[in-house]
Order: sequence, then structure tokens, then C-alpha cells
Amino acid sequence: MAVVCTASRVLTKKILSAKALLAVSQSSRKLHFSIYGKNEAKVSDGISTQYPVVDHEFDAVVVGAGGAGLRAAFGLSEAGFNTACVTKLFPTRSHTVAAQGGINAALGNMEGDDWRWHFYDTVKGSDWLGDQDAIHYMTEQAPHAVVELENFGMPFSRTEDGKIYQRAFGGQSLKFGKGGQAHRCCCVADRTGHSLLHTLYGRSLRYDTSYFVEYFALDLLMEEGECKGVIALCMEDGSIHRFRSKNTVIATGGYGRTYFSCTSAHTSTGDGNAMVTRAGLPCQDLEFVQFHPTGIYGAGCLITEGCRGEGGILINSEGERFMERYAPNAKDLASRDVVSRSITIEIREGRGCGPEKDHAYLQLHHLPPQQLATRLPGISETAMVFAGVDVTKEPIPVLPTVHYNMGGIPTNYKGQVLTYTPEEGDKVVPGLFACGEAACASVHGANRLGANSLLDLVVFGRACAHTIADICNPGEKLSPLKPNAGEESVANLDKLRFADGSMRTSEIRLNMQKTMQNHAAVFRTGKVLKEGCDKMDAVYQTLDDIKTFDRGIVWNTDLVETLELQNLMLNAVQTINSAEQRQESRGAHSREDFKDRMDELDYAKPLAGQVRKPIEEHWRKHTMSTVDPKTGKVTLKYRPVIDNSLDAEDCAAIPPAIRSY
Amino acid sequence: MNMSLLRVCASTSIFRATKGLFMESAFTGCLRTASGAAKDKEPLRKAKTPQGRFDMNDEKIKDPLEKFPDDVNPATKEQGGPRGPEPTRYGDWERKGRCVDF
Repeated sequence: MAVVCTASRVLTKKILSAKALLAVSQSSRKLHFSIYGKNEAKVSDGISTQYPVVDHEFDAVVVGAGGAGLRAAFGLSEAGFNTACVTKLFPTRSHTVAAQGGINAALGNMEGDDWRWHFYDTVKGSDWLGDQDAIHYMTEQAPHAVVELENFGMPFSRTEDGKIYQRAFGGQSLKFGKGGQAHRCCCVADRTGHSLLHTLYGRSLRYDTSYFVEYFALDLLMEEGECKGVIALCMEDGSIHRFRSKNTVIATGGYGRTYFSCTSAHTSTGDGNAMVTRAGLPCQDLEFVQFHPTGIYGAGCLITEGCRGEGGILINSEGERFMERYAPNAKDLASRDVVSRSITIEIREGRGCGPEKDHAYLQLHHLPPQQLATRLPGISETAMVFAGVDVTKEPIPVLPTVHYNMGGIPTNYKGQVLTYTPEEGDKVVPGLFACGEAACASVHGANRLGANSLLDLVVFGRACAHTIADICNPGEKLSPLKPNAGEESVANLDKLRFADGSMRTSEIRLNMQKTMQNHAAVFRTGKVLKEGCDKMDAVYQTLDDIKTFDRGIVWNTDLVETLELQNLMLNAVQTINSAEQRQESRGAHSREDFKDRMDELDYAKPLAGQVRKPIEEHWRKHTMSTVDPKTGKVTLKYRPVIDNSLDAEDCAAIPPAIRSY
Repeated sequence: MNMSLLRVCASTSIFRATKGLFMESAFTGCLRTASGAAKDKEPLRKAKTPQGRFDMNDEKIKDPLEKFPDDVNPATKEQGGPRGPEPTRYGDWERKGRCVDF
């Protein structure tokens, strides 16, 4: 105890001697990171004297502390690795806490069930763009994962016999689609994600994972194509930290905030995807973004389809029930993508509502208030809190909203990050792993099924921990790192901290969000996407003209928001360029000018006698996008989908077919 | 009188923290008498923050989703499940009019 105190005092003196931290020295308080017994953090002047850098050494570093990050972090600690978890938010504030739906697993508590049927449903849901070996792994591990969570103390709802109660949700069927609805979704009252996160966090405190909370990860430390750690900014005191380790796991979540309307938190900024892009590695399938037709304008919360089911109607600025034109039979009860596209077309043609004419109205006041209160309890409260409208008098402003990103960092089923070349195939990037929404394993393919993403988090978080435990041993010596590793990140940080252009961060961000919402949302045609690509390129160039106001280094939220904007931009340009190139409609990516799926064989007709198209001529392949961060130019390559499961005898792979529900 | 009481309490607490000895009863005794003395002196002041649109302090807002008796859903016999009507009845996961998963 006394040794630690003196050591930290010595370090404090060294850091406080730097000129930039003059403000801190005047208060003479200790910097809040502490040295955890085993490894002494050393201060170095390797990068610059203005920004003293603290070096830490760990066996494994996890970036992000949501569902996947926490599971990976304590899985590693349990296996004996000295693990650090670097997160920009407190673990229980990660966006996983907002996932209130359930978690799918073929436990068979309600009726006989088999994980192979779950496998079939997920492959079909992904529109045959999902890698079947990863889906096999996830659905086979699902029952173990849910039982493990239950053993950790997660309070699932129960049947009378005491088994976990499962309900029907998310396109799940029995007997490979022929046996009717399956009941596979387990939940915890109304708050599965919240409970999951708290259970995992509580469990992780049992093990000695070192948490670095409110540390913003800037970049990966790559040397010769191998990942040797992460460099991060401590937001509390402005110090730079380099976490050297042999294994880095990225679990930073999605990037909903590239769009104007999204359900994600303000912190969902795709930091992991951007870190990987800046390291020169590709991101996969970023054009597949899942939308919901009716999200409240401004707030981003989704209004249930039940509103339309109970008689609610969508109207445009002329008061017309426009769904009658787009779906004469189903009208407002048409499928989600038809409704999203209809709303977008109305807005594009100038019949949007509101001062900026950029949303539609969902009208419920023509229904008797008693019926609303009994059938949809709580909706008046929701509408008042999030939209500020009285649902019995005024319509709710809605527009299509982003909910989930299917794409991300490409990994294999073990969680190892991959690069691809046609000559050598998939190649693992040593030392780098990814899991959760940030990764693309790819289990969701072109479309995610409900209640599968929470499963994805825990299964692949655990998979990363297991893979690392298989490959390495705790306490292995680290390979040497150049003393000035990470200097570009610090240079970028310094440039942004003193940026003095003419446009504020919030203006550039709003431009990007509006461009993406108008051009890369649900309604995609060649012309609209091309226009969007050009506009996005222009917005990207305005990043050079950015202006920040806060010049300090302690808790500089202006700087952190600007760093997040850089990350969002990289995600946005890849999304829109990938969408522009993909000339087909598959899953969540649907184009008006190419309405059909383009596979290697035409699965709508009998297969006998058809010639298999080469990979350059069909679109059943993953997009691998890379960006040159200086110019914003996107390069696209393609990678074939993995069509074989892990064990052909145990679980046969599903050959592609036309997807119809 | 007050100050000396507080000083005694303070020294007791330091003593307890460093040496780990159990002086709880004496400590809480100090605390109770100290706060009791303060209460007699001045009444608590009313909050002066302006009332917002949602500050309905007179009527208690009733949660529209009522708890089931014993937390067991009478229709499906599910224990510890979501309150109110079945969340998946419209095909997505609905709660209070909000869709949280689909």
C-alpha cells in the first residue's frame, strides 16, 4: 500500500512537470488512474513532451463495455489473463441497456425445439448473406449461453414449472419453416438488455479486470499488420494512455448516429469501425442498415406497428392517407419496408410535414380514447414525453429511423478479425478480435431477426475470450513496440484541439446526418445514391474547416465530440458508397431500380440447366470497404459468403432459396 | 457545546477507520444528538425551483401497466414476465406504445 502511494506520487510529479498540464498542477491532486499491483504504468516522452504518455501492459485489452465487451472482459479474466477494459462510458450506461426485447435460444421449454431450426430461421432471415459457420456456432451455443446467463443470476421470466418462459417472436419457426411458429424468445420482464448488462457487470466485478472508465480509445497500435494495443485519451485529466497487449478485442457497438433519426444513444458513433479503417483494414457490409418506418421525429423512439394495427393512419402535409396509393389492399398495414419507402417518397416529393417538410404524421386521434387506453396502454404517456403531443388531439410526427447496423468489422466464427484477398482467401489479423454490433461475423447477413442481437453479443463475446485462451497463455512477454507508436493519433488530437476553421462540429454533423437520411435511407436508387455520395464527399472535405472552442485538455467534450464526428464520417462514407455500388435488393438494402436479389443461380426458377455465374457477376457476396482517411475516398472489394456449416453431418448447410414469409 | 460534540464524533470516526475498532454505538449516539440540535434551530426551506410541465406533485401518476397479482400473468401463467398486455401481440416487441425490437 505504501509502495503504491510513493510510486504514484513519483509518477504524479513527472506528469505534472509538463507545460500543458499547468492547470492540473495548481490543484496538486493525484491523477485518478492507479497502478494495479502487477504492472507498473510508466510515463514516457516517446511521442511528445506536450502530451506525456502513460504506458500500460496487459495480456488482453477490451475496447467497449457493453454486453459483448463485458462478456469478453470477464471471460478473459476468468481464464487468468490480466485484462483491461477501456470504455468511454460507465459499463452500465452502454447502449445495451436500451435493448428491451428478448433473447432467442432453442431451449425447448414450451414445445420440442432444435437449434438446427433456429439455424435455418437465421440463415433465411439473413437472406443468405450470413456466414453459415458463424450462424451454426451461434445457434448451437445459444442454449448454453442463456443457461450460463441464468446461472450468473439473470432473472428470466418463468413458466409454472420453473423453466424459462419462451414466447413467439422474431420470425422463428419449427421444422425448418414447416412446423408453424416457434416459441424461442426468453426475456426478463420488460428489460432484458438492462438486466443482461447489470448481471454481466456484477459478475465481472468478481474477477480482477482493470476498468478504465471514461477513456476514449483513439486508435489501434498496429505494427507490420499485427495489432499491438490501443492508444486512448483519459477524458478526466487529459492524459494519453497506451495499452500494450497481445490481444485487443473491439466491442464498441454500432454507428446509428450517422443518420438524422436513429434509436441509438448519442454515444453510438462507430468508434471501433473507424479505428479499424484508420489502421487500413476493411469493414464489411456497412450498407445493410435496419430501419423502422415510424420513429418519433427528434426523439428517435419507435412507435409500435400496433398503432397502425389498431387503426392509426399515416398522413402527409395535405392530410391525405397516402398509404392507399402505395398499398391499395394492405394500406397502413403493409410490410415495414413498404411503409418506410412510402413515407420517404412522400417526403422527397415535397409532401412532408413540419417546418422543414421532413417527416409524416401518424394520426390516432380519430380512434376512441378508451380503445387506445385499453389496447395500447401507455401510448399517451409516450407521445407526451417524447413528442410533446396529446395523442387524443394531435398526430405524432414520425419518419423512418435507424435501429441496427448489420455490418461492421469482418470476423470469422471465432471472433478473429479478417482481411481478404482473392488469391489467399481469408487471413486473420494477429492480435485483433471483434464482437457484438461492431463486428460482422456475419450472423445477421442482410437483415437481423428480432431477439438475435442480444444472443450475438454474449455468444461472440465468449467466443473471443475462448479463442484468446486457446491461442495464448497469460503472462506472455509482449513484442517490442516502437517508442513513438501512436504519434499520428496524438497529432490528430492536437490538431483538433486547436482547430480554428469556420464550421462548428454540430453543423458538420447535422449536414452529414441530413445527407445520410435523405440519400442513404430506405429509398435507394442509383441517382439518389450517386447524389448522396457526392454530397457526403463534400461534407467530408469540410472536416478540414472545423472549428472547436474548448482549448483545455481536462474533460474536453468539444474535442471528444469532434473525434466522434471523425469516426462517424468514416462510417458514413463507407455506408453510402457500398450502397451505391450494390445493384440488387437484399434484406435491408432495397433499391427501386434493382428490385430483385441477384445470386449465382436464379433460385426462383428450377435449378436444373442453369449456369452458375462467376462471383464478379452476382451479388451474393460481402462488401469489404476501405477508406483513405485523408481524402475520404472509398475502395470496395468483395468477399464470398461462407456457405458451409461447421459440421456438415451435424447440421447441414441450407442452400439458398427465395425468401418469403 | 455543538462544536466539541462534533469534534468528539470526528475523532471517533478517524479512530474507527484507522484502527478498525468498533465504536459504532457511541458514534451514532453523537450523530443523533448533533442533528437533533440542528433541527430545533430552523425549519426546512421549501424548494423554489419552478414547476415544470411534468411536475404533478398533487396527483400521483398511475403507471398504466399494472402489476399482476403475485407477478404471475393469469393468461399465460408466466412468472416475472412483462407487465400489461402481451408485448409481442403486434409482431414487434411493444411496451407503452414504443417498439423496442422488431
